[in-house]
Amino acid sequence: MKIKEEIKDGIKVIRLSGKVISGPDLMDLKTVFQTSINNDMGNVLLDLGHVAWMDSSGLGVLVSGHTSLAREGGRMAILNATKKINELFIITKLITIFETFTSEDEALASLKE
Amino acid sequence: MLKGIVLKIPSDGSVVESVQIFVEKIGITSGVSEEDATGLSIAVMEVVKNAMEHGNGGDPKKVVTIYIDAFPGRLQFLIDDCGTWQPDADLGHEPGEGEALISRRGRGVLIARNLARWLDYGLNPEGKTRATLIWPLS
Repeated sequence: MKIKEEIKDGIKVIRLSGKVISGPDLMDLKTVFQTSINNDMGNVLLDLGHVAWMDSSGLGVLVSGHTSLAREGGRMAILNATKKINELFIITKLITIFETFTSEDEALASLKE
Repeated sequence: MLKGIVLKIPSDGSVVESVQIFVEKIGITSGVSEEDATGLSIAVMEVVKNAMEHGNGGDPKKVVTIYIDAFPGRLQFLIDDCGTWQPDADLGHEPGEGEALISRRGRGVLIARNLARWLDYGLNPEGKTRATLIWPLS
């Protein structure tokens, strides 16, 4: 898994690619969420457009990021989840708690509200 | 055709990645496409992680044994742990509601059930918990 971070329109954007599955990389992703909170960047856009696969451990980190941000009054939006990842969100019903977008501009506008 | 492969692994999360790569290669060797082989390895490892955590209580001294066999039209994985636990009837069938949705309980089995064509729990001849996962080969 590769993680790229940038700030766009004042919003933290995290772009993931590859496989979001069990392994040391997941600790890095946890740290990225925690750093966002520590730096008062409570609204996060998570771009999954290049994520090929995700397992329950990867989902667990997303859920934990979502709840940690929400606890601090922030929000996490998900951008461009692929068909496979979207199916995963549907079977686990996490689609009901995640905010998902297919347009980066719309996602950023929503997070700035 | 692959026959009689037996993997004995400790209940230690640090081995998960390498076993996952091995399972993926088993899939590719058996004719599963590279893309689907990742799905196969995720399904198998979700069951293995469950066995490590629930069957063996995360004790690295307790092993999870994976028996791999290829048959015409299918790959079979038998995954044994050292426990005698019986999964709840609803484990891995429904994601739950409300707080249960946020909880990670059963999410791995739910994913495995949806990726594989068959996943069932029972006991092996020694009375220990055994998961049977079947992956069809085209």
